[in-house]
Amino acid sequence: MGSLTQSVVTAFSLIFSADREVWAAVWTSVNTAAWSTVIASLFGLPIGMTIGLSDFPLKRLAVILLNSLMAMPTVVLGLLVFGLLSRQGMLGGFGLLFTPKAIIVGQSLLATPIIANYSLSSVRAADARILPTALTLGASPMQSFAQLTNEIRFGMMAAVIAGFGRVISEVGVAMMLGGNIRWYTRTMTTAIALETSKGEFAFGLALGIVLMLISFSINVGLNLMQEEQQP
Amino acid sequence: MKVSFYHLASVEARYQGKTALMVDELALLAGQLNVVTGLNGSGKSTLLGVLAFLMQPTQGVMKFFGKRVRWERTQLRELRRSVTLVHQSPFLFRGSVASNVSYGAKARGISGSALQERVRKSLEVVGLSGFEARNANRLSGGEARRVALARALACDPEVILLDEPLAYVDELSTRIIETLLVALVDRGVLVVVSSHDPTLGLRLNGRTIRLRQGRLVPDSEPQESYAVKSPESDVFATL
Repeated sequence: MGSLTQSVVTAFSLIFSADREVWAAVWTSVNTAAWSTVIASLFGLPIGMTIGLSDFPLKRLAVILLNSLMAMPTVVLGLLVFGLLSRQGMLGGFGLLFTPKAIIVGQSLLATPIIANYSLSSVRAADARILPTALTLGASPMQSFAQLTNEIRFGMMAAVIAGFGRVISEVGVAMMLGGNIRWYTRTMTTAIALETSKGEFAFGLALGIVLMLISFSINVGLNLMQEEQQP
Repeated sequence: MKVSFYHLASVEARYQGKTALMVDELALLAGQLNVVTGLNGSGKSTLLGVLAFLMQPTQGVMKFFGKRVRWERTQLRELRRSVTLVHQSPFLFRGSVASNVSYGAKARGISGSALQERVRKSLEVVGLSGFEARNANRLSGGEARRVALARALACDPEVILLDEPLAYVDELSTRIIETLLVALVDRGVLVVVSSHDPTLGLRLNGRTIRLRQGRLVPDSEPQESYAVKSPESDVFATL
């Protein structure tokens, strides 16, 4: 217990002394996770909404597939993308492997089904009267769709936050595609894994605390926004 | 002679695989108040959905202002701008009463002071002056119903369809809505109201259209009984 307390103290001193290595890992994590979330949202939100709003013969299959992809192990996903980005792979010519961009590609693929699933749930839970009301008031299909999006925006935000939470906390993709290169592709999670295996528990714990602070801040921010805007 | 807004011939609409509406012939004229009555499941809401161009009939011919409705996307948008449907339990969008009331008018390209004036007048007509800044999701049931009505009026439609506008509203709201319906008819608007009340048409000096199991009931046939079965009836006897 004493060593744990000592580690927590060391962790906070690392954070408040602005340790460059800690903040480099934090920056890489936040940067790659933010870009991945943006890209995954661009695909995931429309996919979820389209599946939720339309009827097509393979809809059930599409929903099952989305659910299954949510459970995709990050290491397997990392492995598949590794195959694509490696020199012999289809996209090897781009030279992305072991760069932050490779992490973004992998994490985008990881977050897309999560964001799509959450947005699908939001659409399903939305009041069935929204679209007919907008249409009968003379709105175009696009305006009606925009109104629906506005009505379920908190569900959409929750989808984006869930995607962000998933990618910022994952290790497999960042490790396999980024390579855990110091000052370049080392993220908080890969650094935690490395430092802990080296016996640098305090350093690992410091990064863990930062990771938790970021996750909690985002959730608290979201909740405050919802409380402010709710009727 | 009054202009024919709608003409329906052999129109059938199906809902969940069953025929919900089968109208051999129906004409609705400008400046006319039509009260569609019938029991639950008689097809009242389906008829309003078809008239609002929200539900495409499975067969038959429907004409609006003499032109055949082709149910094509571009045509539908124009048609829907002539008609406004107020649902039985209207949905008010998140935000203020003013943002709700202005929604349809904005979709029609009205903006600025003209839009504000429409919102103000529409709210005044339904007895809700000064409600502009109120949160739309914090209104009573009757107030919400009247805001929905104001929202429809702000669109200045040629046809207004109301699904059970007088269900579960207080006496004041009932009086305001009934007066408003008569005033709209006087302005040449075609008003179609669905109601469980078989006397509403008579009370508002309008035409009563009776529906039974999705079909129009000839005027010569007697009224359906709305009486609740007594405990001695066969339904209870089987329990």
